[in-house]
Amino acid sequence: MRTNSLVLGIIAFVGVVSLASCAKTYEPIPLGQQITLDLTFDPNDSLGRNAIRYLATLYQQALPDGHNRVGGNYLDAASDDAISSASGIPAVQQIATGAYTASQTNGDNVWGNYYAAIRNTNNFIVYINRVPLKELLPNGASAKAAYRSEARFLRARLYFELVKRYGGVPLIGNAIPQITDNVQLPRNTFAECIDYIVSECNDIRDSLRTQAMVGNADYGRVTRSAAMALKARTLLYAASPLFNGGNISTSPLTGYTSSDVNRWKLAADAAKDIINLGSYSLMPSFTSVFVTQEAPVGANTENIFWRQDGFNRNVENNNAPVGYVAAGGRGITSPTQNLVDAFPMSNGKPITDPTSGYDLSNPYNNRDPRLKATIFYNGSLWLNRQVETFDGGLDKPGGTIQQTKTGYYMRKFMGPFETVTTNPPAYYDVVHDWVYFRYAEVLLNYAEALNEFAGPDSEVNNVLVALRKRAGIVAGADNLYGLKASVSQEEMRQAIRSERRIELAFEEHRYWDIRRWKIADVVYNSAPLMGINIQKSTSGQIFYNRVPVLTTSFRNPQMYLYPIPYAEVNKNPNMQQNPMW
Amino acid sequence: MKNITWFFLLLFSFLSTCVLAQPRVVRGVVKDISGPVAGASISEKGISTNGVVANDAGEFTINVRGTSNRLVVTAASHAPVEINLANFNLRERINISLQISNTTMDEVVVVGFGKKKRITNTGAVSSVTGAEIRTVPTSSVQNALQGKVPGFFATQRSGQPGRDASDFYIRGVSSLNDAGNRPLIVVDDIEYTYEQLSQINVNEIESISVLKDASTTAIYGIKGANGVLVVTTRRGTSGRPRFNLRTEVGMQAPVRTPNFLDSYGTAVLVNEAYRNDGLQPQFTDRDLELFKNGTDPYGHPNVDWYDAIMKPFSLQANTNLDISGGSQAIKYFISAGAFTQNGSVRNFSTNAEGVNSNYFYRRYNLRSNLDIQATRNLSLRLDMTTRFGDINEPFSSNVVGSIYDFSRIHPYSAPFLNPNGSYAYAFDTKNQMPTINAMLQTSGYRRQRRTDFNVLFGFTEKLDDITRGLSLQGRVAYAGVEQNTLNLFRGGYPPSYRYNPTGDTYALNTGVSTGGYTLTEYRTVGNTDTRDQRVNMQIYLNYDRTFGVHHFNSLLLWNQQGYRVDFSSGFPPKSGAAPQKSQGYSLKLGYDYKQKYLLDINGAYNGSDRFQAANRFGFFPAVGIGWNISQENFFKNNISIFKLVKLRASYGLVGSDVAPGDQYLYNQVYVQGEGYSFGQTNQGGGAVYEGSLGNSNVTWEKAKKLDIGLDLNSANDRLAITADYFHEKRYDQLVVRQDIPLMLGIGISPSNVAVVVNHGWDGQISYRDKVGQVQYTLGIVLSYAKNKVLYQAEAQPRYPWLAKTGQPINQPFGYNFIGFYSESDVNDAKVAKPSSAIPTQAGDLKYQDVNGDGIIDQNDITRIGHPNLPTTNIGVPLKLSYKNLDLNILFQGAFGYSLGLVGNAIEPFKSQFQPLHEQRWTPATAATAQFPRLTSNPTTVNSPGAYFSDFWLINAHYIRLKTVDIGYQIPQRMLPFKINNGRLYLSAYNLLTWSNISKKYQQDPEVSSNSAGDAYLNQRVINLGLQIGF
Repeated sequence: MRTNSLVLGIIAFVGVVSLASCAKTYEPIPLGQQITLDLTFDPNDSLGRNAIRYLATLYQQALPDGHNRVGGNYLDAASDDAISSASGIPAVQQIATGAYTASQTNGDNVWGNYYAAIRNTNNFIVYINRVPLKELLPNGASAKAAYRSEARFLRARLYFELVKRYGGVPLIGNAIPQITDNVQLPRNTFAECIDYIVSECNDIRDSLRTQAMVGNADYGRVTRSAAMALKARTLLYAASPLFNGGNISTSPLTGYTSSDVNRWKLAADAAKDIINLGSYSLMPSFTSVFVTQEAPVGANTENIFWRQDGFNRNVENNNAPVGYVAAGGRGITSPTQNLVDAFPMSNGKPITDPTSGYDLSNPYNNRDPRLKATIFYNGSLWLNRQVETFDGGLDKPGGTIQQTKTGYYMRKFMGPFETVTTNPPAYYDVVHDWVYFRYAEVLLNYAEALNEFAGPDSEVNNVLVALRKRAGIVAGADNLYGLKASVSQEEMRQAIRSERRIELAFEEHRYWDIRRWKIADVVYNSAPLMGINIQKSTSGQIFYNRVPVLTTSFRNPQMYLYPIPYAEVNKNPNMQQNPMW
Repeated sequence: MKNITWFFLLLFSFLSTCVLAQPRVVRGVVKDISGPVAGASISEKGISTNGVVANDAGEFTINVRGTSNRLVVTAASHAPVEINLANFNLRERINISLQISNTTMDEVVVVGFGKKKRITNTGAVSSVTGAEIRTVPTSSVQNALQGKVPGFFATQRSGQPGRDASDFYIRGVSSLNDAGNRPLIVVDDIEYTYEQLSQINVNEIESISVLKDASTTAIYGIKGANGVLVVTTRRGTSGRPRFNLRTEVGMQAPVRTPNFLDSYGTAVLVNEAYRNDGLQPQFTDRDLELFKNGTDPYGHPNVDWYDAIMKPFSLQANTNLDISGGSQAIKYFISAGAFTQNGSVRNFSTNAEGVNSNYFYRRYNLRSNLDIQATRNLSLRLDMTTRFGDINEPFSSNVVGSIYDFSRIHPYSAPFLNPNGSYAYAFDTKNQMPTINAMLQTSGYRRQRRTDFNVLFGFTEKLDDITRGLSLQGRVAYAGVEQNTLNLFRGGYPPSYRYNPTGDTYALNTGVSTGGYTLTEYRTVGNTDTRDQRVNMQIYLNYDRTFGVHHFNSLLLWNQQGYRVDFSSGFPPKSGAAPQKSQGYSLKLGYDYKQKYLLDINGAYNGSDRFQAANRFGFFPAVGIGWNISQENFFKNNISIFKLVKLRASYGLVGSDVAPGDQYLYNQVYVQGEGYSFGQTNQGGGAVYEGSLGNSNVTWEKAKKLDIGLDLNSANDRLAITADYFHEKRYDQLVVRQDIPLMLGIGISPSNVAVVVNHGWDGQISYRDKVGQVQYTLGIVLSYAKNKVLYQAEAQPRYPWLAKTGQPINQPFGYNFIGFYSESDVNDAKVAKPSSAIPTQAGDLKYQDVNGDGIIDQNDITRIGHPNLPTTNIGVPLKLSYKNLDLNILFQGAFGYSLGLVGNAIEPFKSQFQPLHEQRWTPATAATAQFPRLTSNPTTVNSPGAYFSDFWLINAHYIRLKTVDIGYQIPQRMLPFKINNGRLYLSAYNLLTWSNISKKYQQDPEVSSNSAGDAYLNQRVINLGLQIGF
């Protein structure tokens, strides 16, 4: 009996040991989680297939689409150029009326998302070195270096976007912090951030593709000129009044602590470098700039860098007048009378000029052709009929549906749908890439910087002439396109700012320009934004009345910079909040 | 259902060939206050080997061989009795009644991997027998435990058939890691899930123990920190086959039904709200008149959608049959059960299609527990059980929610059906959905079919020839679940029309939800199959021996468990949960000296592969000590009033390996990125992206638990008191750090950082006595637990009152209600107003400006009320028996919790209008208003969703008549055939409820806080049952 028990015990013991030493019957990593970084940055893949995909996904993450970006609206609907047609209190209206705090941040608070994107650019920048990528550029240089530089460009652009919102921000470098690493980083100064962005742009320039090297398959990648354009814009912002002398505090975090006119020189030179490339020129037609693809795919000679969005009808569906039921259109963007008034007459003279020929009872007649290309007003031709924004008109029917609040709709970026052949009239897909840098802006940057540094010389004037000429403004007998013959630096400054406003409307420039020029206090606080109320009598007579549409507000000077998100300051004793937040 | 019953009856007629009546045979029945005493041992005095065990009906048959003419009857929890057979007429069945005793030396409780005498137990254990909860008419075991077990906190969130199991916790919660508070459930020493527990047929259960302190849970080591629920199933005893049939039928009705305003009442309030918002009123006076007089039922409908869709009662039925018996060599317990529970939605399905879209639950349980004495020393056991059934629900999902949802349908949206029988639709809503009845009738169902199969094979080898008291046991258990969800639905919504009574015309619904003119065919898409399996192996050595006054009791165990689950649908295949394997050793060393001085040392060294190799295994020791003061001579001789006084204490460390998320937290996960095009070529899809950062240091949570207990019996054991104080510090809790700046750029896995203390006490008092022929037992079961977060890696908030650290887990935060804004408040710039752009109006909820900056905003949010989980649970059981009648009732109450509901439950224009809304603020009723001014704007300060406050949060409590069981033991002479035991009973569940939440919410007090309260309504059940044995 005793032996039986022992035998049994031994059998049981052996059984236990053999069971316990069985191989696992399941994967140590759950199904669906078995992909690793090694798969993406494969040390054995000379094609770098997944690494290049990773970079593609980075573009997706690091380049937001500016069309209807902020809670469904253009950022410009938070400036004095437009308001949102949406009911309730859309994010852009909260910004325009100053309804945000550090803990309830505004709809354009990009802090978390951009730092997430920066981390991912670092992942690529660091790990791409493990991939034995063999691909070469047309000039024989390594494509790996170009891809790495693309990621560095994306990162530099992210920093620029952070700096213009928050002032100096913590620079991460190439670090990829892990869970145990200390990320309670202090902010770098404004000057350090600008230097970093500029040095990155300088560093990567030569390893990037030139415009000429871009083939069909690479179309849309970061080019040398994109890096140069980022540098030019960065230096322009750094030289601008808000940062260069107009610092809202004495802290080096919020701007330079003293002014230096040479910063304008740097900005002008950086813009001039791009002009000197000779690769870009203004498109003959203003409207086609936004719906034409760049070489080698299309004939666009003006766009320098853009986010690829491809062919769709999103812009039309979101922003077109609401009366075209079959085609669709939600009319979310309501441009203001303020913007309409900024457009000169077709002779180039501002409407305030008594000799301009402006007719209050026929206010859209003989205007700068860019008005028609930028804004739908009552009587614009669209989809084979006239836009009706008079009270009770097809595009301003009243009632509860979303419709214009100002009497205008946004036209820019849309395809040429003035007349179409389909019945009922409908939209078709057109290119709606979001253009970050285009040649017209480079020219304006150049003009502005040069005027500030050297005063209004002929080179400055030539820029305005070129833009006005392209826009279709009549040259006039003096061949000055409505510009004055000799102007002071201040007059030229105003001319450039006005030109910039109308040329670059809705391209996320005005909102930042009024800040960097340090005029936001005046722009937001002086008077309500205006719209037009149009009454059509039974006899067809039309009456125009300017009406206030939104009272904006700007807390001066704290709102020149966004608050660092409140939680970030809480979590990080080294994080210094912006003044007065 | 009916078929099953017939099947059982047929089965009996074959099997009921009983062998009876030998000379000197004594037949009898053993009973106590609450009925038959199953498992009582009856032995002949003088011949200790001649013994039998009473069956479930308390019935026994014994051959008396000796000369003593006396029987000794013993049973757990009862005082032993000696019967002189000379006093009985042996031609009839003799009745033996036992007295319940609160303590005897022999009473045992089930603890982990074995049993323990209560007298020598040092840990905190509470238990109930299966018999005590068998007649509670609910499908889920955990629902029946509420109020019965000290330290057991349960809340029933939903009454949906098949999904009505309560959430339960042992001694409250102590982890911020939500899933990390769930107790370990072991059934016959094999781990079960919550779902599996709720499927167990109560008829199969022998006993349920709740292990609460470190001393009893330490042997589970890394899984023991949340307490353990130990269930044992019934086993056969030798004797002739004994049949036991129980059949029940019950009516369910909601505990609380909502009462909504009719069309007229609603329209009046809608108009008022629109006026308040500066909008044009929606209804004219003529509309209102027509709503009121009901003369235009199609143009101005008035439908009570609750009554139209829900029925007042629904049926449930339960039938169980078990057969047990056996010989010395083989003993068996075989049980079969069928449970069916219908839903409370009216039956809209058409028989022609045979598509049953109602809620229902059908469950079938089969179990066979076999014990085989293979050799003198080797016994084997084979337990097999399967559970299968369906949970059905309408495909158009939450019906109660649809009825509550004002944006879905209004009382005046549509008639129930159009005059020509076609479906109507809610034309005045945004989505223009067809009516609820149209959707229920046509849209199909979602059916979850689940089969559980469990096998347990075990052996026990007595190793007495090595040393007496030593035995080796082993078990292999397999638990498999196959689950399939079938979605049967139509592609579009059914055609629906708006009827215009003036022109007698029908207009097809062309809204966003249009279905065209015809119904589309049924189809099935999106079905999922889940398979999971759990394999458990245990080998252990048991040693139990007494050397004179020294008693040793010890156990050494090795066990291993593997678990995996697969989802077949989707690619890459998703895991429902990360597979896991756990492994380890446990040790139990018990010693007592004359049952006077007690010492228990327990420990486990075990681990789980949810953690990285270096952090995988942990050692979890605990020690328990006890002192039976009443065994001391000085006590016995001096203080006779107490029969038992025992002090006990335990302290130890236990762990919890429940890691949040369906992944190994130490693994860095990667996710797929979005696509991006260069040229015309999309180059994104497939790229791998960094996901949440892995935490290579992740490990189990730990709890240090202290328990001090007292057991006290007095008044000749009529009064028994057990009380425990506990203090637990739970640390290394897995939470996601909230203090990491976003500059990290990526999400992170939880870290072992949070610390919570939890303390409280629980206990029970019971008193039994007899007045004339009435025996009674009265008791109180009390549980109290309160926790506090000491650390949770929270970012430093701007104001101290915003901090969650220092508050209990899940502490609600919100605004402080201080009245309604008056006209003068609105115009007074000094009165703080919300920062919202919507102008404050008189009648808005006024909140305290805590930081005094003149603006009501997020900085004014403070701690309000209590967490939703009650701190205090009380049960008051009462048992009465008189002759053949017995009554068993349980009052249950919960205190110290808060309940606040949002959205569909209460907010105007989200919820249907309710009587409470008629007490809204108006200039005329400003003094007596119970509700803010009405507004259709969901973003104002009056919305509980936008501004949660203590106006919405009630410090709640409730008392329930939880269970009632009235039984009549049918005298044997009245029973036909060979039936020797019959009991007819009426039982009820959730019979009556008193709660203070009803002053604001038309809801059950157990619905979960911060929800829309539109879960399936909790049910009250009244149940009629018959139990027969033969």
